[in-house]
Amino acid sequence: MSKRQRDSREYARRMKLIQERATARRGRLRVAYSAIGAVLLVFAVMIVVKLGSGAGGGGTAPSALPTGAAAAEIIQGVTTVPAATLDAVGKGGAQVLPSPITGQPALTDGGKPLILYVGAEYCPFCAAQRWPVVVALSRFGTFTNLGLTTSAADDSYPNTPTLSFHGSSYTSQYIAFQGVETTTNVRKNGQYEPLDKLTDAQAQILQKYNAPPYVPQESAGSIPFMDFANKAVLAGATYSPELLESHTHAEVVAAIKDPNSQLGRAINGNANALTALICRITGAQPADVCSSTAVKAFQGEFTNVGQ
Amino acid sequence: MSASDVELDRSLVQPWVPLTSLVLSVLGLGVSVYLTIEHFTASTTLACPETGALNCLKVTTSEQSAVLGIPVAVLGLVYFVVMLVASLPILWRSGHPAIRYGRLAMAAIGVLFVFYLVFSELFTLEAICLWCTAVHVLAVALFALTAIGTAYADPSDL
Repeated sequence: MSKRQRDSREYARRMKLIQERATARRGRLRVAYSAIGAVLLVFAVMIVVKLGSGAGGGGTAPSALPTGAAAAEIIQGVTTVPAATLDAVGKGGAQVLPSPITGQPALTDGGKPLILYVGAEYCPFCAAQRWPVVVALSRFGTFTNLGLTTSAADDSYPNTPTLSFHGSSYTSQYIAFQGVETTTNVRKNGQYEPLDKLTDAQAQILQKYNAPPYVPQESAGSIPFMDFANKAVLAGATYSPELLESHTHAEVVAAIKDPNSQLGRAINGNANALTALICRITGAQPADVCSSTAVKAFQGEFTNVGQ
Repeated sequence: MSASDVELDRSLVQPWVPLTSLVLSVLGLGVSVYLTIEHFTASTTLACPETGALNCLKVTTSEQSAVLGIPVAVLGLVYFVVMLVASLPILWRSGHPAIRYGRLAMAAIGVLFVFYLVFSELFTLEAICLWCTAVHVLAVALFALTAIGTAYADPSDL
């Protein structure tokens, strides 16, 4: 066999080998692409099923609420906590306080310092925070039409018992209060149903002050958010909803009346902190509230909060 | 053309695969480190997101956030460490079956776990964590890349 023939045979052998390997590679890659396609298909099916079920689904229903006289008794209990009980608690379980801010234009409504609360009924942290807010504000004025609700049944700390500012109003000779609940605690099409709409002014406050440097980066944009007349802000709850777990509304009110209970100390202690802050804003008015032992417990705090 | 002019392709993987898989592994590791730190420290932020559907806290504090007592964030961290090592170019150039198919098996396990986690987010928790979603996307991309890279050549042919 000549060299030319040998070379030609070797050339043919190599070309055949290349073709065989190319065919085998195409086969292997086909399997790989099929596997990738199958993975993407699984995700697509999950998303389509989710969107399909969401269109008719209403989510998990929250637990039943007290009504009639039982509801009225709960509202009465939380809005009329005896001063002696609050004095006995003092600082209680208050550890997280609103952060003072300086150099901002005064936030007012009708000539009175405005306290703005933005939350949502689904939110368990808002649920926890409403109790001390209502206890504190009830020392400066009167709520009407406060509602009872729970946090969402399908969120963390499900069914946390709480109050709702939706549809309520507040009158005080010292301060103004606006409570906004942006959503209900029930889902529709996968989202909690909208409830109160922020006014333009409220949205601007939220956009400016619910962000660094006024609140920590990790809390920015979160709820509950509170603005205390542009003198202090609070993003997040001041105690954990875990304390309210498995409690009914009536049990929470009973705990509030007991200065020795852990829950009562948490709620009343945080209410006293808010009361002390609001006293700085109102210029220590009303005098009986702002000179109370409960407020004096926070004497060293909020010293840089001006009127 | 003579036989000596016909070169056989003796590479085990496409040239762009090792570097790309390494980058994906590093990104996944970075997000996993963040989620692990969050898992052990972030519960002190007592707040809800303004939108209920995007809720990292709900996802990262749920029952599904741990498997056999091990936080999913930690499992993700371990997964990306293993994939990072397996994606080193020197290991992509190895024809050892244990390395090639071990890497592919690991990538496949990652995707199966992502199926479970996405199912939990969509149907059990009804909440999405964007950071977790980033990890899921990276794990799926790593699987795709590993499958394509592994299918490119059969070491026994070379």
